[in-house]
Amino acid sequence: MNKTIEELHELLVSGKVTSEELIKESLEKSKEVQDKYNAFVTILDAVKSGNVTDSLLSGIPFGLKDNFSTKGILSTGSSNTLKDYVPFFNATAYENLLKSGAVLVNKTAMDEFGMGGTGTTCHTGSVLNPWDRTRMCAGSSSGSACAVAAGVYPYATGTDTGDSIRKPAAYCGIVGYKPTYGMISRYGVFPFASSMDHLGALTRSVKDAAIVVDAMKGIDDKDMTSWDSKDIHLYDSINGEVKGKKLCYIKEICDIENYPNASDELITHLENFNKTIELCKNIGMDVEEVSIDKTLLNAIASVYVVISCAEATSNMSNLTGLIFGPRGEGKNYIEMMKDYRTKNFSPLIKRRFVIGSYVLQAENKDRYFNNAQRVRRMLVDEWNKLFENYDAVILPVGSGPAKKFDERTDMLKNESVVLEEHLQVGNFGGFPSITIPNGFVSNLPVGVNITGKCYDDINVLNIAYALESNMTYKNQIAKEVSNG
Amino acid sequence: MAKFTEEMVRDYADKLLIGLTDEETKMVLDEFEVIDKNIDLINDIPNIEKIEPMTHCLDRCIDHLREDEIEESPSIDDILSNCDDSLTDQVKVPKVVE
Repeated sequence: MNKTIEELHELLVSGKVTSEELIKESLEKSKEVQDKYNAFVTILDAVKSGNVTDSLLSGIPFGLKDNFSTKGILSTGSSNTLKDYVPFFNATAYENLLKSGAVLVNKTAMDEFGMGGTGTTCHTGSVLNPWDRTRMCAGSSSGSACAVAAGVYPYATGTDTGDSIRKPAAYCGIVGYKPTYGMISRYGVFPFASSMDHLGALTRSVKDAAIVVDAMKGIDDKDMTSWDSKDIHLYDSINGEVKGKKLCYIKEICDIENYPNASDELITHLENFNKTIELCKNIGMDVEEVSIDKTLLNAIASVYVVISCAEATSNMSNLTGLIFGPRGEGKNYIEMMKDYRTKNFSPLIKRRFVIGSYVLQAENKDRYFNNAQRVRRMLVDEWNKLFENYDAVILPVGSGPAKKFDERTDMLKNESVVLEEHLQVGNFGGFPSITIPNGFVSNLPVGVNITGKCYDDINVLNIAYALESNMTYKNQIAKEVSNG
Repeated sequence: MAKFTEEMVRDYADKLLIGLTDEETKMVLDEFEVIDKNIDLINDIPNIEKIEPMTHCLDRCIDHLREDEIEESPSIDDILSNCDDSLTDQVKVPKVVE
């Protein structure tokens, strides 16, 4: 299970290994990873082997984030509100993976309904980082990132509304890719903030990410925001040719001068990012520094919270406990619903609902919700202006390696949070965006992100592939480290 | 602009049918204070009111509509399979009118 999808496919086709053997290994590893890191909601012990065909994914095990509806299989969204929910239909992206012959072996734990970035709000408990159990995986695709990094299988699916694929990937030393909005149907995936929800893949190589998204994507009658991508062949289009490509990075995010109280880890992280910039130049790309108004950048986190909380408040109003879910107690239906929602939502979700409700009130809407949407447009316009001159924006992911569990990161802080939150612009604009590992800080992996203009996924993947090919972090499996 | 108060937090929570502890109420107010400061900065952006709010990625929320054809509906048994209390083919709820 420490191989790439291409390698596993060759082994399967040549008969050197069988699907049954891969599944057995993956299930054994799932149990080990569950004991050590608590990465799963469900492990499918009775899964049957798959037929091996020309499809690269055929016969190979994988994991699905627990907010994907799976027919006949528990799908909780890592929430107590749906702790017993078993859908009677499949999410389209999962159905597409099944058609490719992929074999589901487990459902991965996540921040409740995707509304968190720590992996600590899953109803099954926190997911631990496979490099260092005292640290978080980030979220919300925490279990998927953990399992792929730990070598349970070559890939798992994820969803990404703020950075929920791309940050866990960085914290776990793997690849996280969300394609352009609408390339993958959202049907059957529990909605969080519909205008920013993306699906994607967590893998250990860029080519694997392309293979998986090729299989997941496609126009869908059940998702009116999906579009026809049949002429886009991600995997076949990766050639690593990047000579003459132009990249930019944003001074106000990357310059250490912006952080007068920088920790040693942040200093090393940004130095490491600069080495990646030099590498880009060495392999034939032009890289330039650009500037964006700091007021806009500093607003990213609040814009995200206002819009996502507002949409989530509305999306999750159907969770009453009456039609599905464990019914609450009370004399009437109001009391029953209140009992169900109070007992079963985590504190983080509850307070985000209140904020979402407040910003949508008629008297507050223009000041908060509409203005957040206005700044969303301003930020997207700024990025689109960059894409007129550059093939992609390259930026460091987060402010260093995975955070310790005792560092609170699910609250907005008063100081600038731009380094932690800038990936959310990729969700504001629907841009294709990929994180790949680019080194180590404090013996723990860190990542770099490449984001391009909408529908230009191939370009983004090619740049990531060229960088990956010139670094030594492709297909790395987590090794627990001791930092004293 | 009226300040977001503890009383208002409790009122909104009540409308949302969720109960908050004192600690959770304080966390809402603390988090909201940061948002409010940022929104103040946003409000200072010249001519911000002239910008069209962006409601969706790609500026459109409809790319594809299916044909208006009748499809098979899910079975009632399937729909009720996750419901804790049902009677014949309906969800059973307590008396609504008191």
